[in-house]
Amino acid sequence: MGLAGVVVLVTLGVMLGPLQALLGAAEPIKLGWVGPLSPPGGYADGQLMKDAAMLATDEINAKGGVLGRRLEVSYQDTRGLPEEGTAAAERLISQEHVVAIMGEFHSSVFLAEMEVAHKNGIPIVAVDVWANKITAMGYPEVFRVAPCQALIATQWGNWIAAAGFKNVAVLYEKTDGGQSARDVLLPILRAHGIRYDVVGADLNQTDFTAQIERFKTHTPPYDLFVTIFSEAGLYPLVQQSYSAGFAPTKHTGLTNSGGPATTPTFWKNVGEAGKYLLTEVPGLPRAKWNAITTAFVANFKKRFNSPPTPQAIESYDAEYILADAIKRAGTTDPKALIAALEKTNIVLGRGRYTFATDHTPDWHYHQFVDAPVHLIQYDTVGQPPDGAPVVWPRNLATVSYVYNRPPR
Amino acid sequence: MRGLHAYVLAAAGVCALVYGHLLNPYWMHVAIIAMFYGILAASWSLLAGYAGLFSLGHMAFASLGGYTSALLVQWYRLPIPAGMAAGVVLCTLVGAGIGWICLRMSGPYLAIFTLGFAEIVRITFSTEDEVTGGMAGLHTAPLFRAATDLPYYYTAFGLLVFSLATLAVIARSRWGLFLRALREDEQAAAASGVAVARFRTLAFAVASGFAGLAGGFYAHYVGILTPSVGSLDLMALLVVMAVIGGMERIPTAVGGAFGVEFLQEALRAYGQWRLVLFGLILLGTMRFARNGLLTPAWLQFVRLGEIRGPAPARRGVGQEGSGP
Amino acid sequence: MDYFVLQATNGAIIGVIYALIAVGVTIIFSILKIVNFAHGDLYMLGGYTAYYAITFLGAPPLGALALSMAALFLFGALVERLLLTPLYSERTERKDEYGLLVTFGLAFFLRNTALIVFGPFPLRPRSFVPGVAHLGSLTVTWDRIFAGALGVALIIGLLYFMHRTLWGQALDAVSQSRESAAIVGINPRLFNSLAFAVGAALAAAAGALIAPVYSLAPDMGVLPNIQAYVVVILGGMGSVVGSIVAGILLGEAEGLFTAFFPDPTRALAYTNAFGVLVLMAVLLVRPTGLFGRRHVRME
Repeated sequence: MGLAGVVVLVTLGVMLGPLQALLGAAEPIKLGWVGPLSPPGGYADGQLMKDAAMLATDEINAKGGVLGRRLEVSYQDTRGLPEEGTAAAERLISQEHVVAIMGEFHSSVFLAEMEVAHKNGIPIVAVDVWANKITAMGYPEVFRVAPCQALIATQWGNWIAAAGFKNVAVLYEKTDGGQSARDVLLPILRAHGIRYDVVGADLNQTDFTAQIERFKTHTPPYDLFVTIFSEAGLYPLVQQSYSAGFAPTKHTGLTNSGGPATTPTFWKNVGEAGKYLLTEVPGLPRAKWNAITTAFVANFKKRFNSPPTPQAIESYDAEYILADAIKRAGTTDPKALIAALEKTNIVLGRGRYTFATDHTPDWHYHQFVDAPVHLIQYDTVGQPPDGAPVVWPRNLATVSYVYNRPPR
Repeated sequence: MRGLHAYVLAAAGVCALVYGHLLNPYWMHVAIIAMFYGILAASWSLLAGYAGLFSLGHMAFASLGGYTSALLVQWYRLPIPAGMAAGVVLCTLVGAGIGWICLRMSGPYLAIFTLGFAEIVRITFSTEDEVTGGMAGLHTAPLFRAATDLPYYYTAFGLLVFSLATLAVIARSRWGLFLRALREDEQAAAASGVAVARFRTLAFAVASGFAGLAGGFYAHYVGILTPSVGSLDLMALLVVMAVIGGMERIPTAVGGAFGVEFLQEALRAYGQWRLVLFGLILLGTMRFARNGLLTPAWLQFVRLGEIRGPAPARRGVGQEGSGP
Repeated sequence: MDYFVLQATNGAIIGVIYALIAVGVTIIFSILKIVNFAHGDLYMLGGYTAYYAITFLGAPPLGALALSMAALFLFGALVERLLLTPLYSERTERKDEYGLLVTFGLAFFLRNTALIVFGPFPLRPRSFVPGVAHLGSLTVTWDRIFAGALGVALIIGLLYFMHRTLWGQALDAVSQSRESAAIVGINPRLFNSLAFAVGAALAAAAGALIAPVYSLAPDMGVLPNIQAYVVVILGGMGSVVGSIVAGILLGEAEGLFTAFFPDPTRALAYTNAFGVLVLMAVLLVRPTGLFGRRHVRME
């Protein structure tokens, strides 16, 4: 080939070096998203959370990505099964080499996923899982943006006491969410000296009339019907309770915890029966919305033709938190990322995010302690959650009453 | 050379063992889960493919075995193998019981009955959450404390080989012949002297025992056990696996389990579409390749190494070859 | 009103709805001799078809019901042609196993496709008859009463069709013996399609009637599927009267169990298990159900 050839080759090789670096710089940053997209998981909520994450990804990339690189998210369907959570987490980490994982709607699945993340030292952000144990385990990789059961059920328990209820019927869904809500709520009721009876129902139960009639015969009569139900089962429950004249009535209030009362199809399914229902919103009340919240709600509605749920905002914010942490760390190295996450101090759709670093109580660790949770009570049919009166906590309340008793 | 296929299989098995450590954690997990389903598919095929007992309670036995082992280990600090053994024993006994109760039932009746049984088991585990942890999940003691899942991989492999060997021995013995006779025509079998009651019960007992074994391993591998293991969704998937592979032979059923599991993983990004695809494949298989997609390949494989002579005289239409 | 009577009445109304769902399974079984595992999903499709007919075509609820029945009738015939013709071939062995597996596969396919196509959020069509009725101290929505009443009407119509019309009698003939029917000049292939189509239409009717009561979801057919089989087997495969009686029986059993099981915490949770337990108990004593003839295999 001759000297000329060698010179050409060497020059090319030297040129390829920086070229390589340039190409490498264009390599996207990969994140992993986990959540239920098919049965037996809660696929309705999972889908909305995925939609919100897609929205966040597109927005971030439109603004130039993170550290000059595109953000890419790999979505893994975990179907509500812990074994699939493990598989998804393993795949994301060892196959797809993601720098961080976010998501999940089922605590039992997240507990499996976080073990894999912990083993590999990869940060994982819990988006909508409420079991205290998740942060109580104390894994440095785990961060949570959702409120935990301790935070939510405490609100409910305090509200129930403040509103003066003495005799409560609790109907909960036999899922991990329902169980943990029940487990935290009941001791609080006991502490306030409130009488209660508890009934568990299967996920696919649709006929509650016999149970409701049984509740009606109880003496003394219940003054509050607490339902802990997610997804489809709630709608017939509320309707049947209303038509049977059990709740919501002048004598018996009706609450729901679990989310479906804030979804787009709530009113379409329950109609008149949903008036006077109370539910929690794990997000900011309308009055406290910032520019990001308003923009997100508008963009989500425009793109997906339905208003977002609080779980969706959590998902959206979680991705932004990760992007922000990567930016501040200046690298995708896991340890640096975890350190950066700990120092998170950013205002997003649900307010100012910070993560506690203490262990008192044990679930505090890496928990977004100030996660907003407020209770609303609908007073008009068709009311959107962000337009409903806020009754608790009192510092956020938009009305003077704690409980709006139905007239009939 | 006769039995060449056996050597090929053995060689493949040795490779799987020796090179297993090269798998990254993800594929190792997938392989372990595939072997779990392999044991379930093999034992279900003995029940449904050989004896013709279309049971929809198989995953319920897996979950029963898992919870039994997990709870006994938790309460009495038994060593895990003892817990798993207890699970197997319980499942064998309960399986025998179910088999005996179902003696006079056939076809769809049996299917619905076992379906009902599965639902009862699932509902009970879900409701008694003080004992079982319910849907929040039961934390189980891990079988091994190791940096990787390699010990689990070897264990799963060992359990699979053990199960296949035992099931193959049964299938190729006179018992297997009697079970097949039950499937074809129970009255004729009885008339020919097959102790129908004994063999139906036996088939259930054996199959359920293996399901319990798989479930026990699963419980101490996955670390969190929920009643969803016994759900109808997973049972449906198991049926899909065995039927697509070929439910009438144990190797093809296992092949179906591996195939579907790996396919499920490969297509994970597509979420719900995977199941739609499996549904289509299942319908196509049932309609056009009822013996299963792997059966023709398997039959060829088994004849590997045999001297090619003139084709044997065609026997009647619609007959299946006998074989492993 | 006495608590017992109240719960029993409620149970009876629910039972009629169960009967309506189960009758479609019975028809298919008595003609084709297979258990249609996909019945719950045909029920689900019927409900959604009615919903979309109301929402997108602006059909009145009754019109949507008729449309839904017609659509599923055609769909049922199509499925029968595509998937079930091996049942009539000499070459197919173990026909009832085939029927079980192929309808199982169909159910699996329909359920998972529905999730993608219809989306996961529950939907609810307009009520047939809004408002509630008061029967003593029991409050029942008019939708339920309407569903029950129309269900009974459909079942009576079906019985009339089967016993008094020529086509119905032809169907009955095929159910007794395909070959004899063919000898007499009845085309068995046509009537098998008809049978499956009628069964599907009945499932669709049940779905459309019950949609306002329980809301629509892609997996809404899972539990009714199980309950339908419980009813059909309790009543004995192939007996329409048996399905009606067993349906009401199951509705009563479940309702009274929830009402009276001593441990209120567990009553509701174990109600479905109880229904299945009743089935298991009956099968132990009478393996062919309360009214069933001995299970006949397809010739």
